Amino acid sequence: MTFTDRTYLVLLLLVVAWCVGFFLAPAISTKAPGVSATLYACYEPICHQLDGRSFHVEGGKFAVCARCTSIYLGFFCTLLLYPFFRNLSEHSVPSRKWILLAVIPMTTDVALSLLGVHSSTLATKIVSGGLFGLIMPYFVVPVLMEAVSQLRDQLLSRGGLFYARKAQ
Amino acid sequence: MLEKPSKLRIALICGAIIGAVSSVPGISLINCCCCAGVWLGGVLSVYLYKQQFTDEMPQLESSDALMLGLMAGVIGAFAATVLNVLILTIFGPVEGELVKSIAEKVLDRLVEQGSMTTDMVDLMKEQIDQSIRDAGRWSNIFGGLFIALIVYPIFTILGALLGFTIFRRKASPQANIAP
Repeated sequence: MTFTDRTYLVLLLLVVAWCVGFFLAPAISTKAPGVSATLYACYEPICHQLDGRSFHVEGGKFAVCARCTSIYLGFFCTLLLYPFFRNLSEHSVPSRKWILLAVIPMTTDVALSLLGVHSSTLATKIVSGGLFGLIMPYFVVPVLMEAVSQLRDQLLSRGGLFYARKAQ
Repeated sequence: MLEKPSKLRIALICGAIIGAVSSVPGISLINCCCCAGVWLGGVLSVYLYKQQFTDEMPQLESSDALMLGLMAGVIGAFAATVLNVLILTIFGPVEGELVKSIAEKVLDRLVEQGSMTTDMVDLMKEQIDQSIRDAGRWSNIFGGLFIALIVYPIFTILGALLGFTIFRRKASPQANIAP
């Protein structure tokens, strides 16, 4: 297994842990209320957690709203399938216009809802959030892989210098 | 060739901005949108850092963006906690009251629509009141700092990496591929 593969696996595990966290918070609310409350607190700074705007499991709301759930699950799906579509060692990113394509539907939905022009529905939240989540890994993963391998090279060269100096 | 500019100054500036955005009542609600205030801080840090580069310096690398995001996130978490404590001490739980008023409107609408019962709404209102009362407790402040130290760097790194893809020079025509 190469260093790039290991980096990808760590990233995938972190994203899985992140997604399991917001599913788990309502699922264990009766069996382990303390852990559930801690999980809700962990996601509190990043989401409004309003009951009416969230998916539910066993009567409890997810720790993040429906839009955030779609974003994270979309991100997870693309990340899971990423090695089948692109080489992990390939560090080039798609054209920047795809970022706009990912962001515009979601920001339009949020802005129109805030302005009272149209009330965003569960479907618009899932589609716009999911699209954003599905596209983002194409930008984040190659740059993250490149950054981690650069940091590793820098650390190794510093380590090499350290041992070279020590040998002198 | 000159050395790259220092990251610390930019990380301090962006950390302070992230802290302010995350703690000023009203503005901090932007973080309800997937931590938008925090990851936009990461994007901003890369933009400001790139402005420091001259032609004589080596190019901005993705590892610079990652480190910058990490530093801005950690500084932002501390800045947000300090500013939160200051605002709580000077003005009281202003943000809690603001969130409470918004949540009450949403909850009342849900009762009107029949999506929730009055008992459930009363219970939730009680929970909101409890969280406002607990806001100033030291255990909550340190707990919040601990969570922020995990969450903020994640989102600032994501923002910084995204910023790197947006602001870096176009490398080759090969990069123009569809996802």
